[in-house]
Amino acid sequence: MASMLPFQTKGFNPYAVKYSPYFDSRIAVASAANYGIVGNGRLWCLGLGPNGIQVEKTFDTNDAQYDLAWSEINENQLLAACGDGSIKLYDVNVNEFPVMNYHEHKRETFSVAWSPVTKDTFASSSWDGTVKIWSPARKESLKTLPVGNCTYSTQYCPSNPHIISAVSTDSQLRIFDLRTPVNAQYHLTSKIPVHLPPPVPFPQGMAPPPAMPSEILTHDWNKYRDTVIATGGVDRVIRTFDIRNPTGGPASIMMGHEYAIRKLAWSPHASDILISASYDMTVRLWTDGSTMAQDGPSPFKPGVQLGIMNRHTEFVTGVDWCLFGEGGWVATVGWDEMVYLWNATSLFSG
Amino acid sequence: MGALDRLQQISGQITGAKSAKDRLLIKSPDDIVVTACLRTAFTKGGKGGFKDTHAADLMAGALQGIISRSGIDPALVEDVCVGTVLAPGGGATEMRAAALVAGFPESTAVRTLNRQCSSGLQACVDVANQIRAGMIEVGIGAGVESMSLNYGPAAVSEFSELLESVPEAANCKVPMGVLSEDMAKDRNIPRAAQDSFAASSYQKAAKAQEAGLFNEEIHPLTVKFEDPKSGETKSITVSKDDGVRPGTTAESLGKMKGAFAQGGSIHAGNASQISDGAAAVLMMKRSTAERLGQTILGKYVAASIVGVKPLLMGVGPWKAIPKVFELTGITKDDVDIFEINEAFASQCLWCANELGLPMEKINPKGGAIAFGHPLGCTGARQVSTLLYELKRRGEKVGVTSMCIGTGMGMAAVWVAE
Repeated sequence: MASMLPFQTKGFNPYAVKYSPYFDSRIAVASAANYGIVGNGRLWCLGLGPNGIQVEKTFDTNDAQYDLAWSEINENQLLAACGDGSIKLYDVNVNEFPVMNYHEHKRETFSVAWSPVTKDTFASSSWDGTVKIWSPARKESLKTLPVGNCTYSTQYCPSNPHIISAVSTDSQLRIFDLRTPVNAQYHLTSKIPVHLPPPVPFPQGMAPPPAMPSEILTHDWNKYRDTVIATGGVDRVIRTFDIRNPTGGPASIMMGHEYAIRKLAWSPHASDILISASYDMTVRLWTDGSTMAQDGPSPFKPGVQLGIMNRHTEFVTGVDWCLFGEGGWVATVGWDEMVYLWNATSLFSG
Repeated sequence: MGALDRLQQISGQITGAKSAKDRLLIKSPDDIVVTACLRTAFTKGGKGGFKDTHAADLMAGALQGIISRSGIDPALVEDVCVGTVLAPGGGATEMRAAALVAGFPESTAVRTLNRQCSSGLQACVDVANQIRAGMIEVGIGAGVESMSLNYGPAAVSEFSELLESVPEAANCKVPMGVLSEDMAKDRNIPRAAQDSFAASSYQKAAKAQEAGLFNEEIHPLTVKFEDPKSGETKSITVSKDDGVRPGTTAESLGKMKGAFAQGGSIHAGNASQISDGAAAVLMMKRSTAERLGQTILGKYVAASIVGVKPLLMGVGPWKAIPKVFELTGITKDDVDIFEINEAFASQCLWCANELGLPMEKINPKGGAIAFGHPLGCTGARQVSTLLYELKRRGEKVGVTSMCIGTGMGMAAVWVAE
């Protein structure tokens, strides 16, 4: 961990970090005063230059910010998910005020994701128990997908613009297919109980994680295998699922975090690599084992921890991969008011 | 979007996966809570205090009790669902009239339903789900049966040729005593075990009655009663279950003759009694209860419904209870009291043994063998019996369950507060 570029978000505790999909030198951080319990939020647009990380722009909100997403159609625009339930679209070239405000969620908006394929919609999830689909040009949502309980994260399938996933308090991973008719299920096509153990026997010498329902805080779609999703949450376990087999249990399990996993992200450069940020103040790099030779008769594979980063001194809340360059660069943020940019491949050598 | 909510949410994530029981005990504004529940006394069919009282009159009395106990403005109650099994025409007309008699305005809707012995529970669950879905804000789940006036061969019509032609379908009309006799033989439940289970039901009920443990749940009703000897009609107040026979022992039950087969194991003493009675449960969201200043007795958590073989209908709870555990994530060790309807000692005992439930947790105040099983009422009755007993003991989690004729089972999880 030789070179690690730091930046301090003074007075604000970050909740999320995202690299720009357009520029390798642009990063944004969503943050909140007083750990997001009470107080303002601040969106930081940061630029990476020869003198390290510099502030390009900040946008303040009345309530905390819990997530952000860069626009996929306009390189200067980005969304902030706010504690008052609103979602605000900011333009880096417009000072202070949002260019659009989307306010339908009745409680904290906790995640936003921009459609990576058609790029004409974005999705949000909220503690009010719904996922909403929006067009950036309209103030009213296009669709509301009921989940029924606190929904921590929603994501688009990276290859199919009609498929959306969500994870929530009730320990379920839900898959919505917007092409299905709005029947009683509101596009819900599968519901995977994340905590259930795999139906196949565990590999020898591996203790199964507790099969108790627990809150799922984060999930992400694999960028190469577009049916694979990784989940993480309060039970400290990362699991991967193949949505083609919703009753088949996890395909892989990764254990090691000592507290809840707050955020995870698959590598844009390798199909088996993912990185996770946790309340245990560490960031961990993993392979889900999918590229390793099958060991024994069980189709189920334990993942392997490849490295650990423990520079943060508070809960690590956000992690994102840089899409550009040699591959391996990540940004992490934590409640220690710190943003670190570093190369995850450095973890291999310790 | 209170700071406290956020703090609680985050601290919940850090303390890690709470046990399912801990999660059950969390109080949330969206909980469906019970703010009043009661039942009438249960009296023997054909001879007890309610033998001349119509089911609708019993229901009207129980509903009046709910209004007076809770102090709720009757106009706030949007729907009443009454489970009743034997009433001709489903009792739909009579129960609507009963609600008007009880003091509900015409704006309070009423319906009846029939899922055999689980009707009372199904009524409560349906109302809870209506509230949860936002269809209504305040509702009453209830159950009633006058087995004195409505029990008889007319309860099931002749099966058509079509139904008779499918064996499993034809099995649906095998009388419950007969099939339970076969099941007791098939599942090897000895007569002695049934009698000792039944005797303990009598003993527990007698003890509870003596200690006044039913006083809170029973709402006394004053009704007309025709004295069978003198033929004169008088007004009596019924406030006590009359089926409880103190001094019943396994030995005394052992002397009784099988009712459904020569040398059979099932008899009047180890099967549920034929009774009259009504029960009602007032439910709303916790946020509504707090706004209205209602006292919260407990909350409804979840319910399960399952199907089993018609000839093995008695095993219903054995399948329904694990399913409700699956829905809630709890295990049998998290449950403090099981109220499992004693349709027959044989089936209740078998289910308890199969599930490995400790006997001291099952029906601590006795059950239908001791004080009766007015079919449609039982499910709603169990809520009162359970919540008051949990509260008295300072315990929290309870399960109500029953087998259902034609081969089904139902179970629900409740938390006392």
